[in-house]
Amino acid sequence: MEVLHIEGTEDTPEVLLDSGNNTFSISGRSFPENAIEFYEPIFAWLQKYAEEVENDMEFEFCMEYFNTSSSKQIAKIFLLLEKINENVFVQVIWKYKKEDSDMMASGMRFSKLLNLEFELREVE
Amino acid sequence: MNFTLIFFENCRYCSIFAKIEFPIKMDNVQVGKQLNELTLFEGLQREDLVYVYRGAFSQVITDSIIALTENNLDSVGESSKLKKRVFSIMVECLQNITRHQYVDGNENQSAEQSGLFVICNKDRAYQMTSGNVVTKEAIPHLKQLLDKVNSLDKDALKEYYKQVLEDGSISKKGGAGLGLIEMARKSGNKLFYTFEDIDDKISYFYMNTSISQLMDEEPIEFVEIQDVVALHKFVLEKNIMLIFNGGLNQRSLIDILSLIDEQAFGRLDRKKKMYNVMVEMLQNVVKHGSKKDVGKVGGNPVLFYIAQNGDDFILNSGNYIDNSSVDKVVEKLNYLNSLEGKELDEYYTHCLLDFDIDNSKEAGLGLIDLRMKSARKIKYDVLPVNDSMSFILIQVTI
Repeated sequence: MEVLHIEGTEDTPEVLLDSGNNTFSISGRSFPENAIEFYEPIFAWLQKYAEEVENDMEFEFCMEYFNTSSSKQIAKIFLLLEKINENVFVQVIWKYKKEDSDMMASGMRFSKLLNLEFELREVE
Repeated sequence: MNFTLIFFENCRYCSIFAKIEFPIKMDNVQVGKQLNELTLFEGLQREDLVYVYRGAFSQVITDSIIALTENNLDSVGESSKLKKRVFSIMVECLQNITRHQYVDGNENQSAEQSGLFVICNKDRAYQMTSGNVVTKEAIPHLKQLLDKVNSLDKDALKEYYKQVLEDGSISKKGGAGLGLIEMARKSGNKLFYTFEDIDDKISYFYMNTSISQLMDEEPIEFVEIQDVVALHKFVLEKNIMLIFNGGLNQRSLIDILSLIDEQAFGRLDRKKKMYNVMVEMLQNVVKHGSKKDVGKVGGNPVLFYIAQNGDDFILNSGNYIDNSSVDKVVEKLNYLNSLEGKELDEYYTHCLLDFDIDNSKEAGLGLIDLRMKSARKIKYDVLPVNDSMSFILIQVTI
């Protein structure tokens, strides 16, 4: 599948969905004016990938900050990953900066809600 | 009920600013009451840009103020020629403050000595005022320079500029009054100024100049600079560091945020909280705010200010809202205020997974997040404006 790479901006995260290299990550800040519009291509990509996925996945989040409307879209990504998890093993890695209790708490919240292998990882 | 938020308009320079009694005590404010007799929002309804920043000036802060203004001028469709003129004056103003904000390089100054920048759009002109401390010794020279500049017409200013340049009498702070001459030349207006005593050694120096929106406008004869002095007193008294009254869009939101990034709010997690809360508050306005004048261009009008009260930072946003939406918002706020701790957390999760509310305007989480971040009740009031519109004020303490 074609690589989806979106460069990060002041208010949107960097996105890399690369099935060839089996790398999937979203990182940075996310508070776009229209979160649905921003995350739409990511859903489209994952939905398509869900139909052809063969390898186990490791999906990495390394968020510095996201607003509430992004949080809903991230929840939607997780629900998609749950679906993919029915066919292949999906490991989620939720990275947060040391002392960033906010991002850690967000990761905890998601991990409790989901039937996914969820690792919270503190990074420097 | 002790809600005492009063807007008044007796400040001619700055078309509106809020007189707030801190701490605001209002736990169960009744919609609209007690404010009927006030002639509120006159200034805001004109959607004049009013921007006040008080505090330390750094390069980043200067850049952010410029970016914010640029965005505002863009969104109301000002010509690039006018924009250029406003910028060149702004840059001079801001450089003046940055360069002269500390007396004798002493950065440990009291709040009343910190720099001030005000820009507003009033009487078909962009009026800018800078404020900084000066030693009393420096006043006579400064006065002389300003009076000289103000006495000269366009051609004479040009001559004088050359003369000063050739003279090479550069002061140790790098200014020979060239900046002032430039400001007078580029603005086509006088440099209005005043000094206010701080103590026996230092004074506060206010300087104002304007850019007419119409190119061939006659020079502005008189500016009520005392209004800025009054405004300054007011923001000091209330410990307000920032007032933004203007069109708000995503771009200006980012510019305001970069200003916050520069401030010392104590602990890192608090700074982050401030940042998060501001995003939610301001995006609320971008998405749900209404315009009173439908024809007006630019973002949604917003009144936003940050004040400090002891250890607390108090963030306030006010915007127009359609009357048809008022009940729903009030109901939601009351409901959120009735929840505590774990209940809030559960409600957040419930709404997070409620995909019935999921559109470009709304995720249904913003207010819950504000309530959780603040860990205090959200204070609010709704003030009727006309048959179709009200003004909603939200206050979050961090």
